[in-house]
Amino acid sequence: MAETQFSRSQILIVLILSSFIAGCTTSANSRYFGQTAPPKDNVMRYVTGGEIESLDPPITNSQGDARILIALFDGLVEYHPKTMEPIPSIAESWEISPDGTEYLFHLRNNARFSNGDPIMANDFVYSFRRGFSPELASRNAYLGYYIKYSEAYNSGRSFVKNADGSFLLKKDFSEVSVGAQTHDTLGTNSEFHHFLDSPERLSVPSSEKERTAALDKDAKLKAAIQGKEFVPVKAEDIGVEAVDDYTLRLKLYQPAPYFLGLLAHQFFRVVPRKVIEKYGNNWTRIENIVTAGSYKLAEHRPYDILAVVRDPNNWDAANVKLDRIEFYPLDEQTTMMNLYKAGSVDALYNHTVPAAWFDQIKQYTAEYSLQPEVADEFYVINVKKPPMDKLKVRQAFALAIDRESLSKFRKTLKPLVDMTPEGVFPKYEEARDKVYTEELKKQGSSLAEWKARIFDPEKARKLLAEAGFAVTKNGETYSCPSFPVDKTTITYNTAESNKAVAEFVQAQWKQNLGITVSIKNMEFRTFLPLLNKVDYEGFARRGWVGDYMDPYTFLSLYYSETNEGATGWWDPKFDKLLDDANNTVDPQKRFEIMAQAEFYVMQQQIIIPLGTSTTSWMKKPYIKGFYPNPGTLQPWKFAYIERDPAKWTTNMDTIMKEDDPAVTAQVNQLMATQEQMKKSKSTDVVETKTAAAN
Amino acid sequence: MLSFILRRLLIIIPMALLVVTLTWGLIRIAPGNFYSSEKKLPPAIEENIKKKYGLDKAWYEQYGLMILRIVQLDFGDSLKYQGQTVNEIIARHLPYSATIGIFAYLMALVIGLAAGIIAALRQNSLWDYGSMALAMLGLSVPNFVFGPILVLFFGLGLYLFPPARWGGFSALVLPVITLSAIYAAYIARLTRAGMLEVMRSDYIRTARAKGLDEKTILLRHALRGGIIPVVSFTGPALAGLLAGTVVVERVFAIPGLGNIFIQSVLNRDEPLTLGIVAFLSILIMVFNLVVDISYGFLDPRIRYE
Repeated sequence: MAETQFSRSQILIVLILSSFIAGCTTSANSRYFGQTAPPKDNVMRYVTGGEIESLDPPITNSQGDARILIALFDGLVEYHPKTMEPIPSIAESWEISPDGTEYLFHLRNNARFSNGDPIMANDFVYSFRRGFSPELASRNAYLGYYIKYSEAYNSGRSFVKNADGSFLLKKDFSEVSVGAQTHDTLGTNSEFHHFLDSPERLSVPSSEKERTAALDKDAKLKAAIQGKEFVPVKAEDIGVEAVDDYTLRLKLYQPAPYFLGLLAHQFFRVVPRKVIEKYGNNWTRIENIVTAGSYKLAEHRPYDILAVVRDPNNWDAANVKLDRIEFYPLDEQTTMMNLYKAGSVDALYNHTVPAAWFDQIKQYTAEYSLQPEVADEFYVINVKKPPMDKLKVRQAFALAIDRESLSKFRKTLKPLVDMTPEGVFPKYEEARDKVYTEELKKQGSSLAEWKARIFDPEKARKLLAEAGFAVTKNGETYSCPSFPVDKTTITYNTAESNKAVAEFVQAQWKQNLGITVSIKNMEFRTFLPLLNKVDYEGFARRGWVGDYMDPYTFLSLYYSETNEGATGWWDPKFDKLLDDANNTVDPQKRFEIMAQAEFYVMQQQIIIPLGTSTTSWMKKPYIKGFYPNPGTLQPWKFAYIERDPAKWTTNMDTIMKEDDPAVTAQVNQLMATQEQMKKSKSTDVVETKTAAAN
Repeated sequence: MLSFILRRLLIIIPMALLVVTLTWGLIRIAPGNFYSSEKKLPPAIEENIKKKYGLDKAWYEQYGLMILRIVQLDFGDSLKYQGQTVNEIIARHLPYSATIGIFAYLMALVIGLAAGIIAALRQNSLWDYGSMALAMLGLSVPNFVFGPILVLFFGLGLYLFPPARWGGFSALVLPVITLSAIYAAYIARLTRAGMLEVMRSDYIRTARAKGLDEKTILLRHALRGGIIPVVSFTGPALAGLLAGTVVVERVFAIPGLGNIFIQSVLNRDEPLTLGIVAFLSILIMVFNLVVDISYGFLDPRIRYE
């Protein structure tokens, strides 16, 4: 055995030596991390995550894939590089009806696919209908369910036809009263538009088995459809219409003020009909694919490289700055960081810096960014199982976590006590402060007191005692012997960071409440069914990334009885507030109603907020026009390589506020058409008013 | 001999089907599926997906269809990567793993054999202790430690070789060294042990008594018997190397089969996992057969009926 021991100590020596030498070679004093020189060619090399699932835009739903699809396919609108708000893309301008249910898009007439074919309104009609087709089975289809009859078509439902040729209407069978929406038709009227604009038809499942199951719960409906004819909802029925070659009209079944922003999602981007019909599933193969973005596919070796080059046929080709972008599909964070350090990649995607590297990386302020994201982390609580069915117990656990320390410990989290992330919806936060102040005044409390929820162990212990679990103090420590610790666990999906946070929270509760909660990890896909069925005890870890830039993407998690909130909580009052909010046209008023909804749900403490996620990503200082926006979804045509070191990024903390004239000019130029449209509309209004006055 | 080979080849078929069946069962037991994500899908969308991929059929029907396809050597389409067949994915990624694997094995063979022979011939000398200590080191340092150390020195310290990714000879150097270390160590120890045994055997004494020179004794007589343990080890080792090694491929971001295999399991991409498992099991069985046949050439005492 002496031999083995000898070699072990040898290993140790080698390890110590190597880390020492490596430490010396990483030149701690350098301003930049590793090799920092712009690539010779006008090429950007980027890591966006693992291998892309599919180049068919509606199919894939990961953020990493979305970043590649943004380069390859344009949609009606594009993300603003900094704010992610919708800016004109193939639609050079748009109009929205005052009731918020009708959208009219004016397409530019020089948009082309990569094979030179023009992109017209009918191409969007095709793309949308295809996205919703049950055969395509897109996981993203639910994003577009606001489009009238799209859900019915996607879920294989049928209209119910009376003997006289008329159809049963939804309003006659729905408890929720849908306010009559009236507006002037945008664009020229048509028979199809008339159909879309009439009261919403009722739909029932087409398959008899599902229909019987659904109808058993609703006697009135069952009687009403007896002996009626079922007409399957077709692709041609959904609320998408080509008014003319370059005008597209969308009809929603209810107003959704964030819908325009949603249209930048890959699900809504335009795809080439001819190629898809010719090659079927194989249309995305490199030898067949035709794209519609600022870049076109040049090379694809799965798990190795996906390269795109500037598409000269693109309508905005003159403003696309990089010649080529190379995406390297990688899964290991350390490998990504190694490549970045060696100067083999120019930027990484978000959350790529491993926790062990933070202390070293954070000094590189010209490269490393911690901007707030439209994402947060929290623990959901199973409110159905005791002792967590008691509100005071839930509040006590929420109050007993020191979020400032958590944020210092888990460096990529910013303290959060609410449901929607902090720092990404400034206008909503304004409205929320206002509403909270009013509501709290009614309760004899104040906003300051409410904000103290960030950490209040004293109150936590008091609440726990009131719930029947007295906390006793023994010297410096606490104990809570009556609390059923065997019924509370923190379950999380396996990840180093989740484990660290769980252990931190565990320690906090032990220290502040005297309760030692066990922690349990699970592989991600094993964990999901547990979450979806609300089949855990106590707490489960959750992270939520918004689908679009509106607080509704967080609040809607708990909307409807079949909500995906994974807490077992549902309240029609909360639903009503959200419905009211979405039926409100004035944006600030709408935010106020949503804030009331958030206030309502936070008072129920069905979740324990932990923090707002931050980007935690790196880019070389010479990459510009490329921002840590809240979704890390960057439109590539703004990105460029700055060869003059004097103009390189110096501080990532202020990058969102700094003005880059090149980017601003480009955005303004794109916005011009929409600004003009707005102006002409407002003069219209003025003119009508003047006419009326006369 | 021929009937022996035929028999062994025929056994491969039921064995491979058994492995596939077991794997299929394990995948089915594992919770979750290829389309599950943090966002819960509306039931209608889930139905659409199930219908599209035939997951709405009864399990025995799905199993039957799967076996029927595999018997025809068609592993179907990947669930995760739309429009790609499993066969084409395996064919596409095998060469990467095989290139690294073959280079690594050749390097391991050269270093291991040399070190083992020297150690055996100079038993209990400094050469022996030195090479065996190194071999011990190679065996006990796992490649997920060894690889990153190499990257730290040569990739990020000296910027001599790229720290990861495929492309050109220089990108091969670090992964090949990492991968070969443990095999070189094994081969060195096996060679030393085999050679020591053979050098003491009667026929070597006879050869010496005949007056043959040391070189002929070593190369013609001793080595053939001495490396039989190495050959037994080579079969499964080479099959594993060709089919990809998960850790090294992930650390160095090599688009090899091992990397794909792990991803397919994580993605719950059933056809792809099954295809790779079937391929791998057949490969191992074939290599073992080749090894068994080669014994007959190396050792005249071994005969096959």
